[in-house]
Formats: sequence, structure tokens, C-alpha cells
Amino acid sequence: MSQSTCVELNQLEFQWPGASFPLLHIPHLQIQQGERVLLRGASGSGKSTLLSLIAGVHQARPNQVHVLGHDLAQLSQRQRDRLRANEIGYIFQQFNLLPYLSAVENVVLAARFAPARVARLKGEAGSYHELAEHLLTQLGLAEQDSKRPAHQLSVGQQQRVAAARALFGRPALIIADEPTSALDIDHRDNFIEVLFNACEVHHTTLLFVTHDGSLAHHFQRAIELNEINQAAGGR
Amino acid sequence: MIRLALASLMNRKATAWLTIIAIAVSTLLLLGVERVRVQTQENFANTISGTDLIVGPRTGSTQLLLSSVFHIGAMTNAISWDSYEYLQRLPGIAWHIPLALGDSYAGYPVVATTPAYFTHFRYANQQPLQLTHGAWFDEQDHIGAVVGAEVAQRMQLKVGELLTISHGAGGISFSDHDAHAFVIRGILAATATPTDQAIYIPLAGLGLVHGEYTASEHAEDDHAHHHEPPVYSLSAVLIGLTNKPLALRLQRQINNYTGEPLTAIMPGLALTELWRTLNLFEKALFAVSILVVATGLLGMLTSLLASLRERRREMAVLRAIGAGPLTIFGLLVSEAAILASVGVGLGIGLLFFILHFGSTFLLEHTGMLLRATALTSSELTLAVAIVIAAISLSLIPAWRAYRNALADGLTIRL
Repeated sequence: MSQSTCVELNQLEFQWPGASFPLLHIPHLQIQQGERVLLRGASGSGKSTLLSLIAGVHQARPNQVHVLGHDLAQLSQRQRDRLRANEIGYIFQQFNLLPYLSAVENVVLAARFAPARVARLKGEAGSYHELAEHLLTQLGLAEQDSKRPAHQLSVGQQQRVAAARALFGRPALIIADEPTSALDIDHRDNFIEVLFNACEVHHTTLLFVTHDGSLAHHFQRAIELNEINQAAGGR
Repeated sequence: MIRLALASLMNRKATAWLTIIAIAVSTLLLLGVERVRVQTQENFANTISGTDLIVGPRTGSTQLLLSSVFHIGAMTNAISWDSYEYLQRLPGIAWHIPLALGDSYAGYPVVATTPAYFTHFRYANQQPLQLTHGAWFDEQDHIGAVVGAEVAQRMQLKVGELLTISHGAGGISFSDHDAHAFVIRGILAATATPTDQAIYIPLAGLGLVHGEYTASEHAEDDHAHHHEPPVYSLSAVLIGLTNKPLALRLQRQINNYTGEPLTAIMPGLALTELWRTLNLFEKALFAVSILVVATGLLGMLTSLLASLRERRREMAVLRAIGAGPLTIFGLLVSEAAILASVGVGLGIGLLFFILHFGSTFLLEHTGMLLRATALTSSELTLAVAIVIAAISLSLIPAWRAYRNALADGLTIRL
């Protein structure tokens, strides 16, 4: 596997315990570092399961999932959690933030379990809070909003904070699971643009998952989950 | 992790405070009961000290103790003056205090005795009685009275005032001895024993009131020929010995006295026996407060379990940023530890607040003396036990959160 490969799937098969069919069977998928990939699939097609396999929350069999050169099946639960903390920024559809913390505190939280992010932040000037505020400003959040508790922010603002948290400390991979489906069209395009710019600056890989095919034109590469998934249970 | 747990708790302020208050109140109750139990027992054991034998008419040891020391209950029998003289002649007697009970003033017991009471009676840790005002009545004084601290305060009595005692122990008596008033000579310092609630008069004074004794001016002059007794009968005699180990032998000897059926008891032993009979009540009280603590902790368990459902998003976010299932587990345990520690701390604070500002109220209205002394080791053990119990209980929601964290992964279930 070359150094520039970010995610590689080989003969990935996954079946929930007790299910009669495998949900996923993906012969091969490779995502290069710095690539921006759209993964499209209908709801229930196994998108979320695939993402949690890549994020290392659920476990595949040996040699099936490689992330940044690590065979996830060879890592312990703790090592997979650590890899996710250090190298993967995850953005949910909504409710990304701890509502009782401020926007800045939510961003800084990303460094809490991630020594590698901390090490990368050490190289930059300023305290964590300053760096987080700077990142929030880059993503278009007004300065006075970054100190407000997360539950007072609008959905669009919350998604920007979520993106900032995913990007904080420059992880290698951002996984975005339907991050725009709670936004209206204006906010959606704006959010994608902001996210792209940030990924470009840091040469971050972006895996963007959606059921909305109309976003495909924003991306260098679009993958249909149906086409690569040959499992009967998935379809 | 503690900071995160704190922030999360602050987000659920109302529930958190209710839980804390429930734990605080149950802690207050448990420690309060423990304190009442220990200090009551202490006060109880403090009522008499230094007295080696109490002699009374043939009766049960508890009854004799109650009437002679606590002035509770009336004795149906009495001991004759002859028996008292016999007791004085026994070998090894250092001092003796005769007591005649049965009269009262405004519901407070009147104890007829001699100045020996003031000289020899000891309470708590061999402490002698002390006066705040005036003086004790002397041998020649037949109409003097000394009142206990509580009586003086409640009835607004002062040195020099007159006092009329009533026959019988009741509050309202139809036979007041108003022909023979007593003059208050002194007021005792508070002792937190039944002494505070008693009025002391000379035996001769009681004899005068009851018409058993007529003062003759000559009798006073010559103590050697003190043939006429001031009263015909006594309720009890307190005896101090020169040689403590003699008590057992003397007790047997007095119990076998042929002139009249007598009972001699050793106060320490009788007190322990009496306390043992009160033990059951004390245990029941303790059991009830343990149950209250259990209720408080179950409340905490309920609120933690209920919060798990609404906090699945929070857990998923923490998982997404790399928190392991063990971190989630620890988060819930530290949350419970915070709730319990703050609750117990608040409970202890409340206890001291009440002890500090309410102890005079308690003493005046219930006669219970509770001191705001530092936490004893057993109280500390109870407090720590509550926190440990809370942490152990929190393992249940923590385990569920751990399982959820593994199963849910990064999907946010709504």
C-alpha cells in the first residue's frame, strides 16, 4: 500500500450478528490522500455502517479495512479509538455539539483524546482557544458567536462549529455523514464551499456521504454505493 | 473528565440539584440520628459518677435508678431512718447522701437531701456541682432551696424568692404546702443531666412541711444527740466507698439486711442495663435512616438511568472525537461521585448549621444536649459509605452507557 493511500477496502464483507444477509460486500475501494470523494447511497443502504467500519467503531475482519496504513482489525479497541481521535474528524447530520459547552470549547474538545492533534497544534502560535477561534472565523462564524453556548447557535452555525472541530489539529481524514441535510440550499452550498477550502488548505482527505445526488458536481469523484456494493442485503 | 462531567451536570441543573438535595437530606438524617444516639448515650452515662452504690427499698434495679437519679416514677416503698443509720455504720463508707422524693414544684421534682449532696455528688467525668448564683443551704437552714439551671430559667426564679412546693409529682396539685414556703438560696450551673430539672431542699424542711419534724432550738446545738430524725423515711441513699472493690461485698450485705428489705445497685451497671433496653428503639431509628439514605441513592440511580436516553447524542459525539467506552463509563461514575460528594457535603453542612444554631432550641424544648463537635470517625465512616454506595450504584448506568457506546457507535439514535 502506498503512503498516499488514505482509505483502502479489500473484499470487505460485513454482516450484523443475527442478520441473514451480509449488508456490505465491497470488492475494492481506494481513496487517495487529499482526495475529495462523494459517496452516494439511499438511506438504509449501509452508508452509516460503512462509515463506522472506517472510523473503527465497528470491526471488520483482518485485511479488509486499511486506514492510513493501519489494518483496523489488527488494532485493539483502544488503538482504534486513539486513531479516530488523532486522524479522523467526524461530522454528523446534526446535533454535533455538546450543548452545554461554548462553540470554542466544543472545538477544543477534539484535542482532548488526541495526542497527535495536540502535537500538531504545538507547532502553531497561540493557545488552543485562540487557534480554535481563528479556525471558527475562517469557517465564517462571527467572533461573538464563538463564545456562546452551542445550543444558542443556529443549525447552520452549529454545522460550522462541527466542521471546525473535525478540522482542529489537522487530522488526515474528514468523514462527513449527511452534514448538509439539515440545511437549506443557500447554507448548504456555502457550507460545502467553506469545508472544501479548509480541506484544500490542509491537504485533508474528505469522505462526504449523502443521499443527495445533486451535490455530485462539487466533487472530483463521486461513488455510488449501489455500484460498488455487491451484497444482496444492501442493494 | 471531572470537568466534562461537571459541565454535563450543569446542563441538567434541576435534576442534579434535586438529586443532591435528596442525598443531602438523607445524609443529614443518618448523621443526625447517629449523633443523637451517641451523644444521648453519653449524656445518659454522664448523669451520675463517683457514686458506688444506690440503696433503696426492695425494688427492681431499673426502677431504683430511674427514681433516684432521673427522678422518674414514684416509689411505692421507702426505707426507714433506722436503715439509713445502719447504712452509715457499714465499714468502708466514705460518704452518704440521703434522698427523699415525692414532692414537686410546677411539675419539677423536689429532692430533699442534705448539704452532703452538694459536697459529694458527681456527674459526667467526676465533675462536682457548681452554683451560678447564691450558695447551697447549710445544716441549720431548714427553709433554703437550691434550684437546677433549667427550672430557674423556665420559671424565672431568682435567689431570695419564695417557693411553695406541692405534694405529689404532678404539675397541678390540690395540696400545696403553702404554709411552708422555701427561700431560694442558690441556682445551679447547667449540667445537661436531670439535676437541671430538680429543686433541692433540706430534709428537715421536708419534715417540717409534712409535719414529721418540729424544729427545736436545742436539737441543733448538739449533733451527737441528734436522736430525732428529720423525716421518718427516705426514698434512696447514694453511697460513696473508701475502697471501690468493696462495692460488690457491700451490695450483697445490704441486700441481705434483715431489718427491712433493701436493694443496693451499682449505678454504672444499672445504667448499662437500662441503656440496653433502649437499644431496640435506637436500632429501629438507625434502620429507618438507612432506608432513607437508600431512597436518596435510588433517586440518583433513577435520574442517571433516565438521563442515559436523552444523552445518547452526547455519548455519540464523545465517541466520534475518540472517547473510548471506558471514558463514557468513567464519565457516569464521576458524575455519581460528584452528586454524592456534594450531597453528603451539603448534608454535613446542614447538620452543623442545625447543631450550631439549633442546639439551644433543642436543649430547651427536648432536653437533648447535642454539641457541634467535629465529625467522629464513625460519622465519617457513614459519610464515606454513602459516597461509596453511590459510586457502586452508578456502575449500573455506567455499564449500560458502556454497552450503548459499543453498540450505537456513531449513529445518533433519536
